[in-house]
Amino acid sequence: MLGEFINPYYLQIGSFILINIILAISIYVTLSSGQLSLGSAGFMGIGAYTSALLTIHFDLPILVGIIAGSLVAGICGIIVGLPSLRLSGVYLAIATLGFGEVMRVFFVNWESVTKGAVGLSGIPHIGRELLNFFRDAGFDPSSIGMRNNQFTYLLVLILLLLINIFIIWFFVRQNKSRVGRAFAAIKMDEKAAEAMGINITYYKVLSFTQGAILAGFAGALFAHVLAYISPADFAYHRAIEILIFAVFGGSEVILGAIFGATFMTIMPEALRFISEYRYMIYGLVLIFMMAFRPQGIIDENIMQWLKKKLPSKRGRSHGSRNQKHM
Amino acid sequence: MKLLKVTGIETFYDKIQALKGISLEVEQGKIVTILGANGAGKTTTMKTIAGLLKPKKGKIEFLGEDITGLRPDQLLKKGIALVPEGRAILSSMTVYENLEMGAYQRNDKEVEQDIENVMKLFPILKERKTQLAGTLSGGQQQMLAIARAILSKPKLLLLDEPSMGLAPLIVTAIFKIIKEIKESGTTVLLVEQNAKQALKIADYGYVLETGKVIISGNAEDLLEDSRIVEAYLGKKSS
Repeated sequence: MLGEFINPYYLQIGSFILINIILAISIYVTLSSGQLSLGSAGFMGIGAYTSALLTIHFDLPILVGIIAGSLVAGICGIIVGLPSLRLSGVYLAIATLGFGEVMRVFFVNWESVTKGAVGLSGIPHIGRELLNFFRDAGFDPSSIGMRNNQFTYLLVLILLLLINIFIIWFFVRQNKSRVGRAFAAIKMDEKAAEAMGINITYYKVLSFTQGAILAGFAGALFAHVLAYISPADFAYHRAIEILIFAVFGGSEVILGAIFGATFMTIMPEALRFISEYRYMIYGLVLIFMMAFRPQGIIDENIMQWLKKKLPSKRGRSHGSRNQKHM
Repeated sequence: MKLLKVTGIETFYDKIQALKGISLEVEQGKIVTILGANGAGKTTTMKTIAGLLKPKKGKIEFLGEDITGLRPDQLLKKGIALVPEGRAILSSMTVYENLEMGAYQRNDKEVEQDIENVMKLFPILKERKTQLAGTLSGGQQQMLAIARAILSKPKLLLLDEPSMGLAPLIVTAIFKIIKEIKESGTTVLLVEQNAKQALKIADYGYVLETGKVIISGNAEDLLEDSRIVEAYLGKKSS
């Protein structure tokens, strides 16, 4: 009975949305300290290849692979971040874009390990592992009326959803903490931030590395959800796509990145018939956004407005802030 | 007691030498001012003391401890706060948030109380508490920058051209506040182009020219010094 409602195709799109949200947050985090990094695709590739190779060749559990993938991406983030800190704005963007391209060429040419342009297949699939786990525990999906593949995709979706909730919760908390304040201050005015006693180098490397870890993490998830990766997955196009998530949705607030990733993943699926033109559309979106709404669809003002709207819906039990309205 | 002692610092911008061996001393509880024309090295001196630039030669001591080459955040921990040139404020944070950021390195519970106290010194900031700092006027922004620096509870406050680009009336107000800051026990090192006003509130002054100290002395004496009168005060020498 449940089986009739669940379409594996939708579930898979859902999974992509959730992975893309992590990627969008990775660029949002680096942007929140005022650095524009286009290296996300490169870090994503590092995470994906690390995790895939470890699980294929050493039979490690997927969880270990994913953690290792994120860490290796994070370490690369520190290595790239430290020297690039001397750069800012468009120069940093170019340098990190170059880094991404170097990584892609690396994946293509290190054939003995990465199998070059052919890509890696037979990567352990998270959903299948989870299914085996449930089977071993004596649970059969057909008992709730689902086919095996529906059940696997559903498990993946739920897992990703939980991960997303945790990541979003973490960064919303961080924004309100000293770290978030330091990022915001550096973004607004480095000189002022320095004068206030904020260690700029430390916080810039921190935000850059957080972005790299998140991208590597998303890359590792990507590898284990798709079970196949090739260097083309982490090329220039991917970097631009991730950038669009943040630019379109809004890079000032975390909700903007989430919205951008969701919308930009659904749109090409909903408009399949024009999906061949999607990079053209991306280009147009970038131009129009830069011209008319450089801060993205969702910005601070919209957040303020939403905050005003929401508590009044929940009733006025919520403190003194809204008393003026009544 | 000597709070700050700078000995023979030489600072370079790449190959161009901006400071050619500057030495100066700041006594605790005093206002010391550094004067000079554009390009004399005033701001460079300030930036070197504040840790934004590193001197190639020379030594900076604070309370007898060598602090040469420390980062700004480390210096702030030791008690040196800088108000940079050109009112560096966080324009899309509110006035109150800016003040909170001033106390970034502090963990004690008196921060809120101190913010209240500082707002007494700058009543306009209290009025504009919830306003975005970027919407303040130039003078108010400068006051906010000074107020923010005070909130780190510094022993030594470095002020880099606080009167720059402000209307005469506001300049007077700012100088009055600097005097009050000194009276509350904070030592001030003030870089200024506005020599007359600066010397009026200062205890001691140094005059720089092309990276060297050319004159130094008590502020009252400098106000009378014919060389300074001619060069900076624009009064006919009698």
